[in-house]
Amino acid sequence: MDRHTSVARTPVSSVVVQRRSKSHRLSYRSNVGTMSHLGYTPGFSKRRLTTSRLAPKHSRITEVNPEQLALLVREWQLSYVTPLYRFRHGQLKSYSRQLAAFMVSEQQQGVAAEVGLESALKVSFTLVAGMAQTEEEANTVFIQIHSKPPFSAPDDPQKLLWSGWLTSVGGNPDYLRSLPEDFVCLPLFCSGGTEGLTALVKAWFQQTFDCCFGPLEINSVNLQWLAALWTDCHARSSIKQLKLVWSLPAEPPLEVTYTVHPQDAWELWRSIRQPGERGGEEEEDGSVGLEEVACFIKGLKSHFYRHFRVELSAGRLTQVSTALGSAKHGGRLKISNSSYMITTLTLLTECALLKMPI
Amino acid sequence: MAATLIPPDFDSSSSTDSSSSNRGITRSLRVAEIARRKTKAEDPIVAALKYFSKVQAGTPVQGNEELERNLVSVETVAYSKGLSPEAISVMLEFAMSLRMGTSPCARVLKFLLPSTVVPHQAVVRAVVWLCVGKLPITTQVLFIKWVLTVFDMIDAKDNLRAIYGFIFSFVTEENLCPYICHLLYLLTRKECVRLFRVRKLLELQSKLGKQPFLLHLLSLYKVFCPELVTLSLNSRIRAGFKNHHGPWKLALNAIQKRNFVQVSSDLPLALQTKEKAGLRKRKLGQMDLPVLNVVVQSQKQTSYNKMVVPLAHIQSFVQLLENLHLIELPAQMGSLLGSGLALHYLDCVQDESAFLRLNFWLGHALNEEFLFCGHGGASQGSDEVVRFLERLLSTQHFLQEGFSSVEAFLYKFLNVWDGSLLRPQILGLLSNIPVVPSSCINRLLSEPLMQLFFTSTVFFKCGLIESLNGMLAKWLTWHSVYALEDGLDVSLDSPTSMHMSRSGFMQSVVELVRFVGRLASLGLQLEGCHSLLLSFVLDFYDTVCDIFQKYGLPLVVMIPAGVFYPALFAFDPVSVDRLAQIMYRYKMNLTSAKKQEKLTGQAFHISRQTYREFNHYLVFMVNCLWNSKIFQPGDDIELSEELLLRSRVPQYWASFNLIHHPAFHCYAIDFHHKCWPERRDVDLNSIQNSKTWGWYLEYLFTQGFDGLQQFIQSSISFHPSTTDSQDHRP
Repeated sequence: MDRHTSVARTPVSSVVVQRRSKSHRLSYRSNVGTMSHLGYTPGFSKRRLTTSRLAPKHSRITEVNPEQLALLVREWQLSYVTPLYRFRHGQLKSYSRQLAAFMVSEQQQGVAAEVGLESALKVSFTLVAGMAQTEEEANTVFIQIHSKPPFSAPDDPQKLLWSGWLTSVGGNPDYLRSLPEDFVCLPLFCSGGTEGLTALVKAWFQQTFDCCFGPLEINSVNLQWLAALWTDCHARSSIKQLKLVWSLPAEPPLEVTYTVHPQDAWELWRSIRQPGERGGEEEEDGSVGLEEVACFIKGLKSHFYRHFRVELSAGRLTQVSTALGSAKHGGRLKISNSSYMITTLTLLTECALLKMPI
Repeated sequence: MAATLIPPDFDSSSSTDSSSSNRGITRSLRVAEIARRKTKAEDPIVAALKYFSKVQAGTPVQGNEELERNLVSVETVAYSKGLSPEAISVMLEFAMSLRMGTSPCARVLKFLLPSTVVPHQAVVRAVVWLCVGKLPITTQVLFIKWVLTVFDMIDAKDNLRAIYGFIFSFVTEENLCPYICHLLYLLTRKECVRLFRVRKLLELQSKLGKQPFLLHLLSLYKVFCPELVTLSLNSRIRAGFKNHHGPWKLALNAIQKRNFVQVSSDLPLALQTKEKAGLRKRKLGQMDLPVLNVVVQSQKQTSYNKMVVPLAHIQSFVQLLENLHLIELPAQMGSLLGSGLALHYLDCVQDESAFLRLNFWLGHALNEEFLFCGHGGASQGSDEVVRFLERLLSTQHFLQEGFSSVEAFLYKFLNVWDGSLLRPQILGLLSNIPVVPSSCINRLLSEPLMQLFFTSTVFFKCGLIESLNGMLAKWLTWHSVYALEDGLDVSLDSPTSMHMSRSGFMQSVVELVRFVGRLASLGLQLEGCHSLLLSFVLDFYDTVCDIFQKYGLPLVVMIPAGVFYPALFAFDPVSVDRLAQIMYRYKMNLTSAKKQEKLTGQAFHISRQTYREFNHYLVFMVNCLWNSKIFQPGDDIELSEELLLRSRVPQYWASFNLIHHPAFHCYAIDFHHKCWPERRDVDLNSIQNSKTWGWYLEYLFTQGFDGLQQFIQSSISFHPSTTDSQDHRP
């Protein structure tokens, strides 16, 4: 026991000096703390599904900036991205050049190209302001790839080949804070364009920022959340219709498209929401609970059962769409109304963060 | 130049000497030969070299017999022994200066076979002659080929690098270009890569098309300056430059073999394993290691970063050591796993971000491969996955540390694992899990493992026990190392520290040992005391019983009854012997703990209960094996008197002593035969008397039952006169 007691007397400073790399893991654990996602040891603190979230609010930003509008136009394929290492928002110009050169050289395998030279592709990285919800959160980055036809005049319209964006909206601040400074967490990656180009862009990001991409599917629970949250907006912005698609494990597979009149859906939702106090509209900070969502979907299902004798619970919700947006199980998303974009993206950011390996 | 010429082979004239005798030459012989050389100054080769260094420009070639004679004499020496550095200088100068026109030039170049090294001055001068531009193109090509062949033998390459620009200017020569590119490839350093050179090469590329030699040079440029050039090669082109060694290679090999000169050829230590190339690419490529690439720096940083050496440039361990403080991590940390050198570096790297990057990548790969694949993992158990996991295991083994992302993955994966998919690898990863806080062990490890354990075959049970044994040993080793270094137990005094305190660590160990104890007890019951399983369980207790003495952790956890009794009553003597060994080690640990407690006056956490348990086992074991007193009232195993009588076993109380124990029965019979070979009827009880009992013990000890020997010698004071036992109470 002698050696241990002698260690106890060693001054702290010398202990620090002695520290070897092996203890890295320990120090890492301890730095991170117990409350974060990274956990005391990863996996120790269970990341649970959110059981309650804020009801969607009309976005505070009244005028939508053009960059945000660009996020609305098309349907996006979702992926998650692990934190980017040494991504600097100040170097977007240089990234544009590098990505363009990378794309060119990848497309013509085995032919070298000079970086920064005029090429047939034009890549632009732009910042999208007003998406981050907290100070810890990094700004959204929007990427576009245009092609320049070889013999075009300088002012000819360029053809948009691919676009995509990396974002984080309302991500868990504890998780974001727990990352060292060198990492930028933009966990949600939305891409629109051919698969080949998407793969190239991903490859470039992987090589440049040492990150990893994986597909982000939206599971039924989250689709139910979206259905409920969008329905909640109906009073302020018409959802036109609530369309839900279920796939049932029958032989042959059965797909059920269930379209609900917006007013009916709204009535059902309102009856579930706070049945006691039918107070003013102002009580907007009220949160929506998971039970309410489950109750809402259950109501819709039982209605369907009453008419068609088909138990939708046996199947899987694969798609939800309203006038505000649509989401598919496979991870395809379209946002049609910028006002409620933040709510949707917050949910998806959370899904992406759940996929983080540590 | 080359005023004093030393011919490489002074004894070429004396044909009696075979060349191989050079090696074992003695000092006196050498002295004698030096003297002989002085006298025989007019060696034909010396004369020849003198001729070639002095010969005037414009001397006719046609019909010049002197030239022919001298050429032949140099040629014979060259082909038999190789030319000395000085000879190389003279001959190269002679050839490249075209003093006697172009016709002897090619011939000379062809026999320029160095015996040891090629002086760099000679090569530089030759390049100067090349720049003069009088040489015919075929000779130019021949010369560059020659330089490529002897490149490794050039004594100093820095001067060649100094004229990099001159050499580069030849790339525009269409015939020379492939060879020049190869030479440049060998010479290029980071400072040689300039934008104008990149542009020149790209221009050539657009003119000549995809030429492999251009691409190789460009890809090297990309390695050095990724901010200047971008390029992607598919695996087919990666093969390297063509070997255009010309006429020299064979002759050179022969000369080197003859001279026993081991020319240090800079064998490139493959930094990354290129096993990927031949494999068909999988759809989900998560298990592919990224290629070791250099970080692309933006222009601003380059001036600062010139000091930095990218890991991709490091070719040998020596280089690694020399540049240890300058090394820059690769763009993708995952690539480190593929390189032994990089792992050495990773081992001493302090960078938290680096580990985090590696963990993100690893965790992502594992999650995507095993957890998120909705299609049920089409590639399950494929070679690639196995290879990936094996590499991961060997990396963890090398670093002697588990990765936290792997740990996090395992906690999730254990809940969905079927226990058979990639069993050896997963169990291997499991044993690398670092210390888990005791409060979490149950949820994270015990619950999923218990389910797997009780629903699987005996082989899985053995594997799991072995893996947990490894885990325990690693925890204990880790503690015994870092308790000293990192002040693990310092935090006992300062509760604010987030480090795991010693008591916390001990709780974890206790929790793990108890968990395995439960598994082992029930497992042995389920499998009918399967001796293979018992062996693995006893392996585990081999580790457990020595925690205090071997690992310096004041902790003794007793073997549970569910393991003790099956081992004691096992049919194979090996198990009983190992149990005796374990009990002996327990005893050693407990007594030394007691001693230390007295010595330092420090209170230990070894409870009375532990001592009591140990003594209880000890008494039982001694009673059973030695005193023939089993089934006593108060024992763990109690049978009613009448039941025992009804079994009609004669002397049931003695049925598990060292003579009648099923494991030792055959030894007793054998001993009996050896003692009384003439006796027909075997009466084992006759061994019982104290004298033969002593012999019998001796006999057993010679059979290799060391554990039993240690146990008996330490726990029983055996006097041949009285077979009485005395168990020490430590």
